[in-house]
Order: sequence, then C-alpha cells, then structure tokens
Amino acid sequence: MISRRHFLSIAAPALALSGYPVHGFTKEPIEGRIIVIMLQGGMDGLLAIPPVGDDNLFKQRKALVASNPLKLNPLFGIHPNFRNFSKMLKSNEASIVHATSFPYTGRSHFEGQNVAQSGSKLPFSTNTGWLGRAMDFAKITGKALSLDAPLLIRGAPEFDNFYPASIEKTRSPQTALIDLIKETHDGDVMIAIDKLSRGSMSGPSRLRARDPLSLATKAGESMRELNGPRVAVLTIPEFDDHSSIGSTTGHHPELFTLLDNVFYNLKIALKEQWDNTIVLTTTEFGRTVQENGSAGTDHGYGSVGLLAGGLINKSSVVANWPGLASKDLYEKRDLFATIDYRSVCSACIEAAFGLDHDFIIEKVFEDKKIARVYEHIFG
Amino acid sequence: MYKNKHQWARKIGFGFSPNDDIPLDINAWNIEQLNDEFPSFGLNKVGLWPEKYNFSIKQRFERLDKHITYRNKVQAENIDRQEKNKRVRASKKEADVDKYDVYKLWNSAIYDNDIFKQRLLHFWTNHFTVGGSNGFRNYVIGDLIYNVIYKNLNGSFDDLLYLVTSHPGMLDYLDNQTSIGENSKEAKSLRKKGKIAGLNDNLARELLELHTVSPARKYSETDIRNTAKVLAGWGVFVGDFIEEFNNHKKWKNISGNTKFEEFVLAPYVKGRAEPGKKVVMGKTFPSGPKALRKLTNMLAKDDFTAQHLSKKLAVHFIGENASKGEVKVIYDTWKKSNGDLAAVHRATLKVAQATKNKKFLWPSTWMFQSIRVSGARFIKENESGGGFGRIQDNGRPAYEPLGILDEIGHNFWASRQPDGYSEKKLDWVSTEHLDRRIRIASRIFRAGPSRSGEEIADLLDFSDRTKLVISKGRGSEEKFIIALCSSDFMEV
Repeated sequence: MISRRHFLSIAAPALALSGYPVHGFTKEPIEGRIIVIMLQGGMDGLLAIPPVGDDNLFKQRKALVASNPLKLNPLFGIHPNFRNFSKMLKSNEASIVHATSFPYTGRSHFEGQNVAQSGSKLPFSTNTGWLGRAMDFAKITGKALSLDAPLLIRGAPEFDNFYPASIEKTRSPQTALIDLIKETHDGDVMIAIDKLSRGSMSGPSRLRARDPLSLATKAGESMRELNGPRVAVLTIPEFDDHSSIGSTTGHHPELFTLLDNVFYNLKIALKEQWDNTIVLTTTEFGRTVQENGSAGTDHGYGSVGLLAGGLINKSSVVANWPGLASKDLYEKRDLFATIDYRSVCSACIEAAFGLDHDFIIEKVFEDKKIARVYEHIFG
Repeated sequence: MYKNKHQWARKIGFGFSPNDDIPLDINAWNIEQLNDEFPSFGLNKVGLWPEKYNFSIKQRFERLDKHITYRNKVQAENIDRQEKNKRVRASKKEADVDKYDVYKLWNSAIYDNDIFKQRLLHFWTNHFTVGGSNGFRNYVIGDLIYNVIYKNLNGSFDDLLYLVTSHPGMLDYLDNQTSIGENSKEAKSLRKKGKIAGLNDNLARELLELHTVSPARKYSETDIRNTAKVLAGWGVFVGDFIEEFNNHKKWKNISGNTKFEEFVLAPYVKGRAEPGKKVVMGKTFPSGPKALRKLTNMLAKDDFTAQHLSKKLAVHFIGENASKGEVKVIYDTWKKSNGDLAAVHRATLKVAQATKNKKFLWPSTWMFQSIRVSGARFIKENESGGGFGRIQDNGRPAYEPLGILDEIGHNFWASRQPDGYSEKKLDWVSTEHLDRRIRIASRIFRAGPSRSGEEIADLLDFSDRTKLVISKGRGSEEKFIIALCSSDFMEV
C-alpha cells in the first residue's frame, strides 16, 4: 500500500503539471523539515539576546547581563555561550526573533505552556497542537523525543515518539504479543499500540542516552533517513528557574550552552538534510525586565525565539523593538511582544511544508490577523 | 456501579492481593480507613515497617548536615580526586533517606491495608508537587509525604495547606528561601553592600494558581505580589538549614523560635520578612509570621478552591469524563463541611462507587496494582536479606525502586514542574509509555505472581473480548502480560 506521504510527493507535482493549483500549497511541496525545541519554563530573552544598544537595559538590569556579549548589530548582542549558534548566524543559517510571544499575557506557566503548544489564544481550549494540525494538512509524519507525546504534535496523522527504555532485565516486546494486546484496546491506546507493533520505534539503542544532546543526534539521524520523520520535537527542561539564574555564568547560561550544543548536534546529525531544515525554539513564558530580589527574573510576557537551519537564506535579527524604558514595558514590567510568535511558526510551516501563509493562519491557527514574517526570517 | 469488590478496590485503591482479607462490608471498610490508623507493614509484609526507617524532619536535616560537613572537609583535603569522590559517595550513601522513603511508598501500595488512603496520599502528594533531585530536597520530600500529607488526610484542608506551604521542601522547591522583603532588614543591609535583594513570586504564583483558587479566580498581579510579600521571610535553603539556624540564632533574628524542631516546621526569619500590612484579594494581612496562616485560611475557604479541588479529586478517581453532577456532590460536601477532608474524601468514595466513568490509571498506580493483584513478590529485599544495604556501585539500590518510577515517568522524587503529573489519559498514551508497561508486566511475571493472567481476568470480570485474547497468548507469561496490559486492567 502506498503511504500517504508517498502519495503526496508523487501526486502533487503531477497535479501542478496539469495546471491545477493544490489548495493550500504555495508552491510545489518541498521536503522541508521542522524541529521544535521546547524550552520548558521561560527563557530569559534579555539574557540570551541582550539589546545592548538600548541604554535602558542597563538601567533596568543591574546584574543579569553577561559581561561579554558578542555584538550582532548596533542594537543586539548574543550571550557568549551561544558559540555554535553565533557561527550559524555568521554563515547565514540562523535568525533571531525578539520581543515576541504567543498571544498570552497571563504569566501563568501552565496556561502559557498550553498556548505555546496548542497555538490557540485561549488556554486549554483544544486537544491538538499547532504543529500537529499543520502536519495533518500537509500529510507529514513526525516524532517526539520524549516519553510522552506532547500536545504540540497531537493532531498529526502519523506521529510517534522515541525515548529508549532502561529497565534492567527487559527487552523490546515481541510483535505478536503487542498485536494481541492491541486487540483489547480501542481508540488512542489502540493507535499507539499499533505504532509500537509496526516497529515504528527505532531499533536497539544505547541505554540511558536520553539527554537532550543524545536525543538531538538521534532526531537528526532518523530525519536523515529515507522516509524518516520530517518533524521532531525536543524538550530542554529546567528553564523555570527563578533565583540565581546567572549572568555570564550560572544556571541559565549553562542551559544556553546546552541549547547551543543541541543546535550543533542537530546540524551534524542531519548532514545534507540540514539544508532542508528549520529548527525553532518555543518558550512557555517571558521574563520580567527587572531582576527580582533573588538574582533571577519572574514570569513575564515578551521573549525571544532562536531559529536555525539551511532553509534560512540570510541571517537577521527580526524585531520591532518596543524599548525598555518603564513606560514602554507591558504593564510597566515586561518586555512588550510586538511580534506574535504564531507568525514565526507560520513562517516555518510555510518554509518547510510549502503551505500558503493565508491557509496556515486560517486553518492551523484560525486567526486571519496573523502577519506574515517569512521574508524577514528566511531572507 | 462497582459490585465486584476486587474492581472496587482497584477503583479507589490498589486492588486485593491473594493474601488480603477481603472485607465483608466494603463501605464500612472504606470509611474505617479514613478514621483509623492502620499499621504500615514491613518490607515484603514481614512484621511492621521498621521504626528506624521513619525519619523525623530533625533526623533528616542531621543526616544531610553530617554529609555536607564531611563532604566539605574531604573537598578541602589534599588527596587525589578519585579518593575524594569515593569518600563522598560513601558518605552520601550512608546519609541518604530517600531510598527508604521510596521503598515505603512501594511497600505501602503493595502491602498496606489502607489502600484508599494510600491513593489519596498519592493524589495530594501530586497536588502539592515538590520536585527533587537537587541533591538536598530529596532529604525532606519524604517528610512532606509521610509526616505532613498522610497525617492530615482526614483533617481540614486549611491545616494541610498551611503545613505544606510552610514546609521546608516546598519553600525550597519554589524558591521562597531567596525571596526577601524589599523593606526588610536583610534587604537593606544587602543593598548597602551593592547586592540585589527583594522578592520573587514563584511560590506566591503557584500557591494561587495550582494549590488553591486557580486562575479562574481572576486575581491580579498585585495579588500575587502581595502574596509574595506575605510569604517573604519563610524558608531556608534545605542544604544550609542547620548552618542558617545556628547563624540566625546567634543574631537573634528568628521570630520567636529558638528550638531547631520548631524552626524547621515554621522556618520564618523575621529579618527577611516584609514589614507592614499587605492586601491580597481585598483582604488585609498584618505583618509578622501569623499572616501566612491567615492567608492560607482565606485561600482554603475560597469558593474557587472548593471548585478547583472538587473537580480535581473527581477527575483523579472517576476519570476525565466525571460529570458536573459528580463533581457537585464533592463540591457540596466541601462547602458544607468547610473543607473537612474526611468528609470530602467520603463524598469522593460515594461518587466513585456509583459512577460508570473509567479512569486510565497513572503508570505507578497501574504498576502497584499489577504487583498487588497478581501477588508477585516484586520487592525481594527484606531486612534480614540485605534490605536497603544492597546498593550498587552507581549508588542505586539493586532493585531500583526509584529507577523504575523514573522509567515509567512517574516518580514523586523526580525533578519536574510544579503542576505535577497529568490526570489526562492522552498524556500517558504513547508508544514509549506502552512499551514500558509491557516491559514492567514482564518483569512482574518473572517476580513469581501467584495469580495467572486467566485468573486475574476471571477475578476482575474482564470482558469476553479480553478473555478471548488472553487465551490466544502463547504460554503463561504472554497471557499474564496481556491481562495486565489490557484495556480492562489499565482503565478502571
């Protein structure tokens, strides 16, 4: 039986040849890949990508600015721990979007987390994720590198997850047994067991190679394979620190290094497929502009998104900078978000899946007001 | 309606093992569990749980302090690194208490008689999540579970809320120990030295959002800020508790408390507190340590707390499809009893028994039920047979009770986000999660169950479809695994 994915790659150009536009597709579907790195908690965007050209940064923040940021342009610098990402910026394979957020201002971690994955304005209002819905429309498969299947990817026609087991004295279950177990289930559990049975999980893996770096390599390797997944979702935990988060060094900077190496591992593992890939981060809440009393920052609104991959043609820092003077802050407290992060997600879907912007905002996000930022990010 | 006693015991507990005495009057037995103290069995149900493995909060800090003191001493010594690490590991192994706490959780779920109370313990431990694994907090999580939550399961919610909020584990987990009143003595002195000092709102935000009223209450950022001001002064970093206590005692800066035990259970440092009155959700709170209790009382009595927790309890025991009517029974009881947990838990039992809705069991609940119902001797160690002594080189107990909870993604000692483990079925359905269940079922089979797959299916009135599939399994291991991994066992 021909798989749906195959069907598309064969059928769509044929349709285009005969002159019929494929509804929803802006051009002939490209074999692009999307990798989302979910930063669990809130990345402090002003610490990661400090607007060093804005004097108010140093008025608002006494300590939480790295002492030696690399300068990107007159306004923005980048934390020195982003070594690999900086190189990608130099070689026109990375972009930054600043002063951005999903359209949620409530500052709750868990509502924010839900919105970042569902892409819906109202928290807890849908059971599918924005990426899953986009995959559904583009008929694309994907993989989550976690024990669970995150909301972000739900709704996709085919998705799977990968997170190697490490239980002593056990081995992967036999297909015949899995099939029998499947017969006792219905619905979502049956579907998941069916995937397990079809050996959609990758073969034997090294025990305990489940840290973000190893999983990034794993993701890149499987996405490089013929008929491999075209979407991967990774998580980096522990971005929910509130005290002593660090400036030049410390907890947040250590996480920057980890994130930076995840970008690097993805690029190395994807090899030639890196050219067809876009990697983007999501954060679940922004951060206050000022430090709190514990040498950290609390939940806020605007933050930053980091993007990398060969689908980018020209690096840029995309921002409609709102300023950091107290009067310019959201509720005199947080960085204002002047770019809806759903615009960024839409641009990535457009670049990787070839879906048309208007189609994406109408069908995936159900909000026709989302602006197109594709040209700014991808150059 | 749960007529089968074995199924009913799974709906609200961990099921009955082949060695359990099945109560004649199951309703009376349920209520009895709430009102009475049940003995906790020793490992493998041999004798009673050894008293020496019940640690007071003082003992926990003493063990931690002894380890830290020794570690610092070794670090300063002029010996090679390997030797240093070896000594530090040995000291940590000697000091650790979480391995006993984890064993107790397993043991109680598998052998103790108060299974409804154990399930409630898991529910409330998850509601008041304190993530571990910073190396220190794991010393006190067991205290929160056994000495605070378990002992207050039939008290009032306001007591429980206050005790949890002021517990050193919670104060540390949500960073309150570094939240200092902006006009406090300590903040002023720190600022003179050019340091930053002030509030963070981590605990304040989650106290409102997760533990009590939920965002549905529509409180403001100012309410969160002022809650943080009430909380300022509470907490000491767990790793420094004893040292800080001694320091503050010297400075006579501890509000009214001089004894270590008293300080630990109400760790309020006056010099860090925010002076003056604070207004939260329209109500004014005075300065001083008594304000926190007044604040938690107000939150405990709030109608939105009753709504939030009634729903959460219903979803936990009944399932995501719990009807409004079912939630309302619990809610009405909450309101009428003013948050008396014994009454609220009785109401939860009542609706759980009458419901037709099923709950997809949490991985650990499923695993403990699988072990208990099948009668497998999964916990092999007992005191005379080595017990906790069998620690491998990597510092993990040979039988990895903590490691297995990690593997199934459901470990109350793990580092995780403060909203705790999900009650939603879909969050637990993935190829990897299901792979783990099959592996665990296979491990349980090899631990020598006394009930076969077919016997379990008969005992629990499985559907004909599932019974037929079990019959198709090749050999007793496959039949056993199918029974435990069937929809009939996973959902109850």
